[in-house]
Formats: sequence, structure tokens, C-alpha cells
Amino acid sequence: MNASMSYDVAIVGGGPAGMAAAERTIGAGLSTCLIDEQPRLGGQILRQPPPGFAVTGWQSGRLYRAARALLARVERLDAFDFRAGHAVLGVGAGHAEEGGFALSVQPLATGGVERIDARRVIVAGGCYDMPVAFPGWTLPGVMSAGAVQTLLKSPQVLPGGRIALFGTHPLMIVLAEQILAAGGEVAGVHFAQPRRAMLAALGPRLPGVLRAWRPLLEGARGLANLRQAGVPVHFGSAIVRAEGGDALEAITLLRAGGRERVACDVAAMCYGFLPQSDLVRQVGAAVRWAPGPGGWETLCDEGMRSSLPGLYVAGETAGVAGSDVAMLRGALAGVTLACDAGALDEVEGARVAAALRARIARLAPFTAMLRELADPQAYLPEPELETLVCRCEDVSARALDAAIAACAEGDDGFGASAVKLRCRAGMGLCQGRSCEHAVIRRIARASGREAAQVAGFTARFPARAVPIAELLERDAPAR
Amino acid sequence: MTPGSSHPDILIVGGGLLGCASAWHLARRGLRVALVEQSQVNAGASGQNAGSLHFQIERRFLEQGEEAASDAARIVSLNRLAIAEWQGLEDMLGRGLDIAMHGGLMVAETEAEMALLAFKVARENALGLPTRLLDADELRARAPCLSPHLAGAAWLAEEGHANPRILAGAFAQQAAREGAVIACGARLTGLAMQADGQYRATIEGLDGLGEVTTPRVLLASGHWSARLAGLLGLNLPLYPVPLMMNVTERGEQVLPFLVQHVGQRLSMKQSEDGNFLIGGGWPSRFRRRADGLPDLDRPGEIVEANLLGNLAVAARVMPGLAARSLLRSWTGTTCISADQLPLVGEVGKAPGLFVAAGGSLFTLGPVLARLLAQTIVDGRPADELALFLPDRFAHLNAFAVLP
Ligand SMILES: Cc1cc2nc3c(=O)[nH]c(=O)nc-3n(C[C@@H](O)[C@@H](O)[C@H](O)COP(=O)(O)OP(=O)(O)OC[C@H]3O[C@@H](n4cnc5c(N)ncnc54)[C@H](O)[C@@H]3O)c2cc1C
Ligand SMILES: Cc1cc2nc3c(=O)[nH]c(=O)nc-3n(C[C@H](O)[C@H](O)[C@H](O)COP(=O)(O)OP(=O)(O)OC[C@H]3O[C@@H](n4cnc5c(N)ncnc54)[C@H](O)[C@@H]3O)c2cc1C
Repeated sequence: MNASMSYDVAIVGGGPAGMAAAERTIGAGLSTCLIDEQPRLGGQILRQPPPGFAVTGWQSGRLYRAARALLARVERLDAFDFRAGHAVLGVGAGHAEEGGFALSVQPLATGGVERIDARRVIVAGGCYDMPVAFPGWTLPGVMSAGAVQTLLKSPQVLPGGRIALFGTHPLMIVLAEQILAAGGEVAGVHFAQPRRAMLAALGPRLPGVLRAWRPLLEGARGLANLRQAGVPVHFGSAIVRAEGGDALEAITLLRAGGRERVACDVAAMCYGFLPQSDLVRQVGAAVRWAPGPGGWETLCDEGMRSSLPGLYVAGETAGVAGSDVAMLRGALAGVTLACDAGALDEVEGARVAAALRARIARLAPFTAMLRELADPQAYLPEPELETLVCRCEDVSARALDAAIAACAEGDDGFGASAVKLRCRAGMGLCQGRSCEHAVIRRIARASGREAAQVAGFTARFPARAVPIAELLERDAPAR
Repeated sequence: MTPGSSHPDILIVGGGLLGCASAWHLARRGLRVALVEQSQVNAGASGQNAGSLHFQIERRFLEQGEEAASDAARIVSLNRLAIAEWQGLEDMLGRGLDIAMHGGLMVAETEAEMALLAFKVARENALGLPTRLLDADELRARAPCLSPHLAGAAWLAEEGHANPRILAGAFAQQAAREGAVIACGARLTGLAMQADGQYRATIEGLDGLGEVTTPRVLLASGHWSARLAGLLGLNLPLYPVPLMMNVTERGEQVLPFLVQHVGQRLSMKQSEDGNFLIGGGWPSRFRRRADGLPDLDRPGEIVEANLLGNLAVAARVMPGLAARSLLRSWTGTTCISADQLPLVGEVGKAPGLFVAAGGSLFTLGPVLARLLAQTIVDGRPADELALFLPDRFAHLNAFAVLP
């Protein structure tokens, strides 16, 4: 263990939520360490191009204005430690007497593993694209919307010539525009849900939703732009399979009018986002299955305190709700923490917190509407029996089903871990991130339960696989 | 539970390896068996362990000096039976169990450790276990992937490993085929002896069927067994030990053997799938309950120094490991008895109450379950269990009051 550093607060994640939290804890005079595995601040939506790399039109959209302003403010702060390019592998109990938490942190550039001690921790790890297994999904060229977006912002610029987008999430519209702006070709945007289902989600909530009118307007404007650029946008167009030899050549979609085969080099799926809660689960805080797309969101009180004393959550880790809510929740976590630490006057803290909560409440109708409108549950493509569900360990849907059937013998309450023990799904390098969702859904269906009633994989140290040599680059271990 | 299982011939508490294997042997011999498991089959230590089949005297027996070691060497008689049991297990259960018995090495790094190995091998040979001392060159020839700096090793051709993820489940499946009733999500919360000598057990989580009356109860409940015996006012000399395990990503097959260390806590092997499993008895730490006492019902938390210590020993013995990535570390709780030997058989003070717990019971579970079943059916202890009967601690229950 390299020399351990001690802080009042450690914040995992430098996205909108983590930045907003840091602004508050630093403002309250608490020593703060902000840790992110990415090389720069900004998180998912503001993922900055590497320094010195110019991308035209980088996140120029009005949608990101507030987040960009926050980024600019936080970058000007100098009274805190920002550990860029550091992955947090684990959050554990701190010193026996002093309490608090100990974070195992891996500097990605230099290797090794460091320990960071903090009295309190805020986990603001964001969210990730919901992976979906369907025939052909393991072909090179099939990827997540997030992966395409990351590539767009990096020196590789464009992953392929013709890019098809499919799924249920309106982010596809934003992404398609970004691809066009970067000079790429969009081979079509395919919403699996029919247009009327989307309108039905919008309708009853319209009055509340209109208070957050900007994203709606941006969405409508985006659709019009795509139409103008000649990009086909389909509704009720659901993917059936991806085809190709060594790499993707086309996707087949099923529509009211029949099947359509769309030639493309890249197909990006976008069925929504799952909270990144591996660290929270590892340290034992309570989570619950999120409504809509699912995934594990952290349970917290109205001050963003998790079920573990001293552990707070912010942003999408507490439930996917978009960057504006993420920022507000980050600020709220920071304020609550500062009050709990005695660094902020209780009355003043309560006043600020109430104002933040009121702003979050104003956004709630829009968040709820978006979740319903983008809800993938009824539209997920199905794997065939030979389709790999766990691609790290080569576990097919057939093998998974056999394991589920075996678990079901004599026991109807089994969870994903029991299935994993039988068939290895989730035992690989990705730590189960890419198959847990599918495993839970299949268990739920086979045993007539709701996904929320199926326990997930047990989250373990380390959150990212780490070479043993790097762990051992420390002083003499205990005997 | 099905109707009729409220009056079984025996109630087994615990769906780990011991409970499931005992259920199978007893059901095969015609007993009406009901097994209750509070969570799922194999959810306890039986599904979390390292899967080592170690038949050499374990390091933990050598830690407490020569006299204790000689005493504990009595375990060798049981280890020899266990070898034969494992060799016949796949045939007996009629399915593959990922059993690899390609040999085991207990390595030494120093001359002092070599001397300890020589002492151990002599004891084992005298007791009929054919371990053999390898010098540094012989060791290198046999296992070129291990460090060239090792001083030597003790070799036993029958050692190896098996897959703990499937064994207990395989027994449970066979037991169910023989008519045993296996109820998961069913927790024993009350146990009393009636005036007629029968036991009345309260089971929580069974729809509509919470009371079981039975002439026999088997506590195969791992480290929980001591607390459950407490329901009858009885004491069992068993204590919980929270441990940790590590697994690396997959790699090409280079290590066909089980590797242990005579001077350090280490067990290491490569699974069928290519992952390296690294453990050997490094402790984790119980989390605390709200009242400050250790929480025995939750898996322990990793102690960082021990994680690093475990990996360091492993990488010293097998340098190539350093380049592998650690995928996951996990914790589990095993159960050890006051004299480190298994506790298996009837509790004299409470006729009809049986226990099976304590020790490396992945290795010894299959044979102990068979001997215990024989004991229960015959109504007298199997000879092979003489050293392991609970009544060697009868004094612990001298003050117990039962009907
Ligand atoms: C592909 C994609 C596109 C999105 N597009 C939009 C959009 O257009 N509009 C919108 O409102 N929302 C969008 N979202 C949702 C969401 O990401 C944003 O709402 C916002 O970024 C949430 O802020 P956050 O701070 O909660 O998380 P993030 O911005 O994701 O920040 C979390 C940060 O934590 C870091 N991190 C996580 N785990 C660790 C670890 N173990 N160690 C070190 N660092 C860690 C990550 O590197 C990341 O930088 C998108 C999400 C994804 C995945
Ligand atoms: C990390 C680790 C590594 C190990 N490595 C090895 C090894 O390499 N080789 C080896 O030989 N041994 C090893 N062991 C030891 C071995 O795993 C155990 O000795 C063995 O699994 C014990 O099996 P069991 O059936 O007695 O207990 P368990 O598997 O713990 O089963 C007991 C069951 O009882 C249930 N139960 C408890 N209370 C109740 C109740 N009130 N009602 C209903 N059910 C209840 C529990 O849920 C549990 O499933 C290891 C142990 C650990 C923890």
C-alpha cells in the first residue's frame, strides 16, 4: 500500500453529480478528493476530448449548458485534489478506531494501487448503456450508443461508414445528430416502440412536462434535422438479428410492413441506462431494481444518504434521471454531507437543501415521462438458444436456461448468483456488467417473478480486474 | 414441504455439502428425510470454498508445535478414506464433478520448512499415507511453473481439487430422486425435545407447515450448528472462521496440481476453465451489528493486508501469477472445532440429535456423510468415526437439562 492520504470527503466520479457535490463540500471548507478513471472532468455527457484534440461542435447543444458552466466553475477551483485517470477498485471500512472508509484506487497510467482514506464518501459513478443480447450481438461492429459516442469524441472520430441506431431511447436522436455533425452517415434510426406508444406516454403528463420544455423542443428539432438530412427515422421497427461474417454487415428489423434488412458497418443499441452501483453494492449499501429499464439504483433518503452511515450517493447511481437532476442531486449530497460533518450551519443547509429538492421536484414529471416513453421492457429483442448471453465466459442462452432450470428444482427464491455458480455467466472480466441484466430477466421470466424480486450477482472487490503485480507494488504485506 | 414430511424419520438442518450428502445416503437407505435450508442449496461454505482436496496433514495442524501435530495426525486415517471416496464419487453420483486428482505439492521455501515437511512426511508414512519428499530439482522437474527458489515439497499423487459449485447440488438432486424432501428458504427457528424423546422443530418460511415432529435431527448447519444446538441448551465446541478467496482471469493450463505451503497460508490451483484460485486460510473480518457484536450471518469483509499477503505468497511461489489479473475476491465463513478435528455423530446428552461440522469438510464431507448415515441407520457409531464423535467434549454439556 502506497502512502495513504486522508480526506474529509472522497467523491467517486467527476461527472455532473460528482462535480456539483465537490463544489459544495469544497465550499464548506471540507478537504475533498475527487476521483475519476477518465483523464478529464465532465463525466459521460461532457466527456471531453483529450487535451489538445480539437473536435468541432463538441457538446455545443443548449442541453448541456448548465453542465458546461459547472465544469468551468469546478475547473477554476484549486482547493481540492482531482485524481484523474484513477479507477476506484473498492470501498471498504476505514481504520478500526477512526471509522470512515478506505478506497483502493488504481492510477491507470503508472500502475500500482493506492489507498485513500476518507471520513465520508459520495459515490457518483453515473450510469452505463443497458446491454442486450440478441442473435449476432457479439459481432464486431455491434456496440452500445455510449461506445459510439465515446469514439466520436476521441481521435478515432468515426468507427465506421454507415451507422444504424436501434432501441427505445430518444438519445438516439441526439446521437444521430452527433454522428452527422462528425461527418458520418446514419443508416437509420429505429425505435422499437410504435409512435403512438410514445405519444401515449407523453400525453397525460404534458402540463407537468412542459415546465421542462427545453429537452422536448430539442428532441423535436433533432427529429426535424434528421428528416432534413435524409436520415430515415422509423417507429415500431424492432431489431431481430445482426448479420455478418467476421464483422457486421447488416441488421434485420421487423416492422408492421414486414422484415427489412439494413446494410451497415456499425449498429448501436440504445435501450436506456443502468445505474453504476458496483461500489455501493460492494460495500453493502441497500439498492433496489429500478423501474423501467431496471438495474440497481441505490436507496437513499431525501438528503442522498445511503443505508450506510457516512456513504452518500449522487447522480445516476441513485437512479437514472438525466444530467440536470444528476447535478442537483450532487449538490444536495454535498450540502447534506457538509451539514452532517458540521461544516455547514444546519439552518442554512436545510434552506439550500429545500431549494434543491424543489428544483428536483419540478423536473420529476419530465423524468417520469422520459422513463415511460423510453421503457424498453416490452421491446427487447430475444436471444436464440445458441446466442451467447455472457460473452466473457461463452455462456449461451441454452446453457443459462439449463442452469436456471437446475436452480429451480426445489427452490423458487434463487437469485443470479446461484445461476452464476452453475453456468459461469457473470464470472468473467466484465464482472457481470454485461450479462447481469439479461440473467435476472431470464430468471424472472422462468420463475414467474418480477425482476425486482430476483437478487443480482454479489458485487465483489475489485470493481475492475487488476493485475496482481500492480496490487503487490506496495510495501511488505502482512504475514 | 409435502404432506407427510411433517413427521420425517430425520430432519436435516442445512443444505450444504454435509446436509445434502447425508440426505442422499439416508434416503437411499430408506429413511424419510426432510432437509431444510434457510437460503439455497450450497449457499454457505460449501459453495464458497477453495475446492482443495488436501489429504496431507494441513498446515493449521502443524502451527501449534510437534505434540499437537502428532495428535492431529490422527486425521490421516480419515484422509485415506476420503481419497477412496473421491475416487468413486463420480460413479456413485453418475455424473461428472470436475474432479481433478493429479497430485498435490506442499512446498517449502527454507531449510527449516523442509525439516518440518520431513517430520510431517514421516508421520504420514507411518500412518499409511504415501507422501514423498521432493528436493528442489525434483520439484522443478515436476512443476516448472513454480519458483526456482523453492527448497522442495511434499508430494501426494492423490491430491487435487474439485468444483465446489456443483457438488452439494449434485447430492441434493440425487437425494430428491430417492424421495428426500428438500425445502429451501426454510429456516429452523425453534427446537425442543418432547417428553417422549421426539424433537419438535419450528420452521419459518414454509407455507402453512411450520412444525415438524421427528425422532432425529441432524445439525449440518456449518458454523450455525453451535447456535442451533443452543436452542436445546446444548454446547458444541465449534467456532466460526471468516476467510477469503481470490480468483484470477483465465489463462492457459500450466498447473495441474494443488499447491500448498508448509510455512505460509496458501492453497492454489488452476480450475478446468483456466482461472487460478488462490486462498489458503487468510482471514476476512466479520462486519459489526448495530450492537457492536460481530455479524455472523453476513459474509466477512476483506482485510486488505490479508488480501495482499495472500497474493504475495502465491506470486512468490508461482512468479507467473503476477502478470495475471485479479478478477474477484470473496469471503465465506467456515467452522472449526476446539481440537481442530471434525465433530461428527450423535450428541450423547440428546439421543437422536446428530451433528456434522468442523474442519475442511469439502475434502472430508463425502466420506463423513456416508459414515454418519451408516451410524444413524445402524444405531451405533461407525468404527471409523471413533476419533470424531461429539462426546469427546461431553463435559461441555454436563449441566444441560433436557426432558
Ligand atoms: C452513452 C450515454 C449518453 C448519455 N447522454 C445523455 C444526454 O445526452 N443527456 C442527459 O441528460 N443524460 C445523458 N446520459 C445520462 C447521464 O450520463 C447524464 O445524465 C450525466 O452524465 C449523469 O451525471 P453523473 O455525474 O451521474 O454521471 P457521469 O457523468 O456518468 O459521471 C460518472 C463518472 O464516474 C466515473 N466513475 C464511475 N465509476 C468509477 C470508478 N470505479 N472509479 C473511478 N471513476 C469512476 C466515470 O468515469 C464518470 O466520469 C447519457 C449516458 C450515457 C451512458
Ligand atoms: C473460503 C473458504 C475456503 C475453504 N476451502 C476449503 C478447501 O479448499 N477444502 C476443504 O476441504 N474445505 C474448505 N473449506 C471448508 C468447507 O467449505 C466447509 O468445511 C464445508 O463446506 C462445510 O459444509 P457444511 O455443509 O457443513 O456447511 P455449509 O456449507 O456452511 O452449510 C450449512 C448450511 O446450513 C444452513 N443453515 C444454517 N442455519 C440454518 C437454519 N437455522 N435453518 C436452515 N438452514 C440453516 C446455511 O444456510 C448453510 O447453507 C473452506 C471454507 C471457506 C469458507
